[in-house]
Amino acid sequence: MRILLAEDDELLGSGLKAGLGQHGFVVDWVRDGVAAERELMTGQYAAAVLDLGLPRQDGMDALAAVRGRKLHTPVLILTAREAIDARIRGLDGGADDYIVKPVDLGELSARLRALVRRAHGESQTRLSLGDVTLDQAARQVWRDEQLIELSVREFDLLHVFMLNADRVLGREQLEKHLYGWGTEVSSNAIEVHVHNLRRKLGSTLIETVRGVGYVARRPV
Amino acid sequence: MTLRVYSLSQRLTTTVLAFALIVWGFTLAISWTMTDHELNELLDAHLAQAAALLASGAVENRVTDQDSVRQAAILMHKYQSRVAFQIWQGGRLRARSADAPEAMLAQPGTLGLSTQLLSGTAWRVFSVAPAGDPGGGVIHVGEKVSARRHVLLASLRGALLPLLLALPFLAIGIAWTVPRALRPLRQLRDTVAARRPVALDPLPEGDVPPEVRPLVQALNALFGRVAEQMEIEHRFTADAAHELRTPIAAIRMQAQVAQGATSDEQRAEALAATIAGCDRATHLMDQLLLLARLDADVAGEALRGGEGVVSVDLVAVVADRVAELAPMALTRAQRIQLVAPDYPVPVHMRATLLAVLVRNLLDNALRYGPNEKKMVVRIRPPTAGKGIELTVEDAGPGLSDAAIGRLGERFFRQVGSTASGSGLGWSIVQHVARLHGLRLVIDRSPGLGGLRVRVQWPGVR
Repeated sequence: MRILLAEDDELLGSGLKAGLGQHGFVVDWVRDGVAAERELMTGQYAAAVLDLGLPRQDGMDALAAVRGRKLHTPVLILTAREAIDARIRGLDGGADDYIVKPVDLGELSARLRALVRRAHGESQTRLSLGDVTLDQAARQVWRDEQLIELSVREFDLLHVFMLNADRVLGREQLEKHLYGWGTEVSSNAIEVHVHNLRRKLGSTLIETVRGVGYVARRPV
Repeated sequence: MTLRVYSLSQRLTTTVLAFALIVWGFTLAISWTMTDHELNELLDAHLAQAAALLASGAVENRVTDQDSVRQAAILMHKYQSRVAFQIWQGGRLRARSADAPEAMLAQPGTLGLSTQLLSGTAWRVFSVAPAGDPGGGVIHVGEKVSARRHVLLASLRGALLPLLLALPFLAIGIAWTVPRALRPLRQLRDTVAARRPVALDPLPEGDVPPEVRPLVQALNALFGRVAEQMEIEHRFTADAAHELRTPIAAIRMQAQVAQGATSDEQRAEALAATIAGCDRATHLMDQLLLLARLDADVAGEALRGGEGVVSVDLVAVVADRVAELAPMALTRAQRIQLVAPDYPVPVHMRATLLAVLVRNLLDNALRYGPNEKKMVVRIRPPTAGKGIELTVEDAGPGLSDAAIGRLGERFFRQVGSTASGSGLGWSIVQHVARLHGLRLVIDRSPGLGGLRVRVQWPGVR
């Protein structure tokens, strides 16, 4: 799951990036409010962790601009502003969650997963598609009650397909979900991962839509 | 030994009453002396007159027998009984008034005025020997001294008794007035007593009497200072709580990354970052505390009195700081060029604060200056009319005008600045400069292209 991190503090930012990476998130990190707004406007993130006291533009202003453009990317505010009215302003200003620093890495990951889940209309931590079940928190996948070993990328790709069931996803779109900035992506990476998923979970799970991309269909 | 402290009303009441009593006593003494003197003169004259009258009568009538003596004793006036006379002739009492004693009123041979003691009674006596009396007669006219005292007391009573009677009324009056006059003080006390400790708004000055106004003004000034101190402490607490959140969050996050690290390399990196985070939190705490103390100094104007201000050699202090920062500069391949005179340049400051000022300036220049570039520290000794100037220049990105305007705002940091800056350095530099009356000029370095900061001491006239 690709997450945008807007945090101007070098030490905390690098910690969040590494820590969320350990929990299976792909993190793009921006250090100021203008960049945060610009990146959020692309709409390609599953969720965003937003600091408020950012240089160049306050996080609240960035959030207001994004919400003003009808972009619904889930945003979790992570800030030092602990006052009640700041929390109220944050949530009323379009944030989906508000956490005061410091935060536990596990809790932050869980909250992000919950935000993404809700954004896709799910309330279960487990997603099901046909005979495949995916546990978002435990990062485990079963086929007919049998645990299937997946690589990190394979899991992430399957996760994207299951969250966007019945929606056709282009190759570039999928790459954006899977890879952060500065990652070298070979041109056939997605193809290889899709191939592996079909091999492990059955060939009917992911269909190829010629010239467009792929789709995971719900059984009728 | 402890002195009892009396209340104002007690003190006023006793003082006024005691004073009234003393005045009354003085009046009594003076009236007594003067009236006594006048009365004696008057009555002595009367005695003399009566004696002269008797003397002329005695010579002409030749009073010889006791009966005529008794006739003279008819009471004519109530005061008459206190006056007595004796007519002696040839050693015999020839005539006397009714209340006159048998014994001679005055010692033989005494003439004129005298005071005599006769069987326990004091008499004022005028004695005269009638001229032309061959028998060597003598006439004594006497008056009991007690009678005189009686007259004296009677005349004084009229004048002094009302005054004495007035004293209790005076006491009641004072007891009634004083608490009333002190009511504004009592009201002030009640107002202050009823205040909650956080209520530090000034007391109204308009409706207090002029005597109490300085007290109210002093109280208000105190409230103002206390409020300022409380504001500083409050701000410190809020600042500390807010500013420590991010460093602590970073420490926690890095520690958790270390915990969940999948490679030794990642773990080592995260642990190093954790330690760096701790160092930063410590630095931030130190700066916060220093700033809080400076705040208190500015508020308390402790330095106006020159407390702790000594003559310090600026060159030595700057050289020390440069030496201290040299290792940090070396790790980043930065060069520090120090341009300073080879003789001491004394400035009058608190030595610790000068060190703080210089360290923060150099720190900033090093932090924001790029690697492998140089920074210049220059000390200009005082020259004709111009004061001492300390210049610190770096080759960093410098600051926009807007950013220069925001310098010194607490926790303001330039975009993309390193993690180690607390954002408090400038606040501290500005505080120290303000405390010592120094001028800070910030612009772009013409030589190095980065930031140039000049600290200017006032010139000696």
